[in-house]
Amino acid sequence: MRLPVTPALAGLALALALSTATIAADIKIGVLVPTTGSEATYGQDMANAVQIAQEELNKAGGGNTYSMVVGDDGCDPQQAVNAATKLASSGISGVVGGYCSGATIPTLKIFGDAKIPMVITAANSTKLIPANPGNAYLINSTGNDQVAKVLEVLKAKNVKALAIVNEGDAYSQDLATLAQKGFTEAGGTVPSFETVNKGEQDFSSVVTKIKAANPDAVFWTAYYADGGPFIKQLREGGYGGLIIVGDGSTSTELFKLAGDAAEGVLALSSPTPDFLPNAKAFADTYKAKFGNAPGPYAALTYDGMKLLASAITTAGGTDPAKVMDALQKSDFKDGLAGEITFRDDHTLARSNFIVLEGKGGAWALAKY
Amino acid sequence: MTLTTILAQQLVNGLVLGSFYALVALGYTMVFGVVKLLNFAHGDLYMTGAFVGFLAFSLVAGTLGASWLGVALSILLSMIAVGFLGVIIERIAYAPMLKAPRLSILITALAVSLVLQNGILTLSNGQVLPFSPKLGFAGINLGDIFINYKQIALAGTAAVLMLGLELFVSRTQYGRAMRAVSVDKDMSELMGIDVNRVIAVTFFLGSALAAAAGTMAGAYYGSIWYFMGFLIGLKAFTAAVIGGIGSIPGAMLGGLVLGLLESFGTQIPGIGSEWKDVFSFSVLILVLVFKPTGLLGKSEQERM
Repeated sequence: MRLPVTPALAGLALALALSTATIAADIKIGVLVPTTGSEATYGQDMANAVQIAQEELNKAGGGNTYSMVVGDDGCDPQQAVNAATKLASSGISGVVGGYCSGATIPTLKIFGDAKIPMVITAANSTKLIPANPGNAYLINSTGNDQVAKVLEVLKAKNVKALAIVNEGDAYSQDLATLAQKGFTEAGGTVPSFETVNKGEQDFSSVVTKIKAANPDAVFWTAYYADGGPFIKQLREGGYGGLIIVGDGSTSTELFKLAGDAAEGVLALSSPTPDFLPNAKAFADTYKAKFGNAPGPYAALTYDGMKLLASAITTAGGTDPAKVMDALQKSDFKDGLAGEITFRDDHTLARSNFIVLEGKGGAWALAKY
Repeated sequence: MTLTTILAQQLVNGLVLGSFYALVALGYTMVFGVVKLLNFAHGDLYMTGAFVGFLAFSLVAGTLGASWLGVALSILLSMIAVGFLGVIIERIAYAPMLKAPRLSILITALAVSLVLQNGILTLSNGQVLPFSPKLGFAGINLGDIFINYKQIALAGTAAVLMLGLELFVSRTQYGRAMRAVSVDKDMSELMGIDVNRVIAVTFFLGSALAAAAGTMAGAYYGSIWYFMGFLIGLKAFTAAVIGGIGSIPGAMLGGLVLGLLESFGTQIPGIGSEWKDVFSFSVLILVLVFKPTGLLGKSEQERM
């Protein structure tokens, strides 16, 4: 009766192998990004970054072999729920990604219930913080940190009166009201707080109003598509003060739309590979592999994958509680975008926003 | 800046914005007057006009230069091309529906709007395209207020186009035929008027005016994208209703009134930019309560 013995032995061997899984294991990581729809380029870019990180991890050895499963959230809450449910049931030990805040929020509960640790690498609405059941960690600074950085810049520029313009949507209004609150608490005044319609091209009446209020600086919190024409009309209308834009307007398209008016404009930006001294090698690898330069969130997403892998190594396995514990205590220094430690609310402990300045039709890093 | 200066500057802003609304509103009102159709694709003709104008501009800018002459010629080319597009749309989408219930043709108009929007979306990849002719920043100072030449050219062009339309409608044979058709289509047909041709001319003129406004908006504000027609379509429709839909002077008046309401609404303390639309639409409601036909509209009995 030799036949049954072999499976039994094999089973024993497998059990032995499992008990020592900390040494060598195949680990599946889910990647939740939009690979179709309007934000597809950003999502694909993030998935590519994870792939580079994963290949590097496997090449470096260290015992664990990583594989990735991409779930397409389409930047749509409903599709995101489907994608997350599918990912959660496909045996993954962690999730990296999250680009659109609106689509990421409903997936938090799904991954939370399944006890899957999640590293959110791009989405940064402050609304993610209360929605987090405890398994998610945000490595991109949130709106609060952006405002903190804006206030720092305004202080350095000695701005006493600030005009704030938003478009009334969740993102730009959130940023605008936070900035208004922060700036007035810091002792400044906001003589003009304006809301314009998305897609409306004529800003002349708002420009006149701002000019009459005569602020030292104007803060535009919405996206570049309307930001370009707004900056142009502001300058044409004769406003000579400082103009600052939020991270929705850091696209280089801004220079095409605003022309010369964008010279000297300051912008808050997530740490994009272009401006990270450590990301040069990564950018080269990316370009060689995918044929184009890495997008704005590639470096952060690469860091996210490496962070998750390092937490799994520290935890000595994929036990969710241990991995989350390791994430919470992480003191990750190998990141392209700087070190990662977390606050108690699972957000990045420092503000990773950088300040850019419009110079000769492109962004240049400004020191603040 | 003193309050008078601010208000004078807002007056200029309102007049410029109002010229756009008026030009687009004219197309709404003419089409409604003649075929009793709310052409919801009209805002998208404005958008298409901006793209055609942009295309024409990139073609002629090489030979004529990226300045006034180049822009003027692109406006003209865009008007002709989009005018014919309007006629084609009328022939394909609306003509077969003219005898159908009103609701069917209204839905057709929405469909045409979607077709134009998505067509341009596909062609432009959803990108915001920079349209930046070199028109300079020069202008004239009137006391404390500054008016640049672009604003003068824009309001001037709009005025000339509107005056031309008014003359066309009141003095020419086609204009008379147009007015006749708007009063009674069947009777006009019996009197030997080629109604189909009159409708085609109406669509041509309305679409051409929208194209002129679209190209001017693109060149003036410096960017175009596939969704730019939506909001202005809505606003121009409002302008047409304020002025009395079906009335040509009404559309001009309505456009200017709406432009002025918006720019002054921005300045009113406690209302401000956030509430300026609420302010202007409240005025619309008031107008409709006290004068349901609009400011210059004539009351018309519904014939069944």
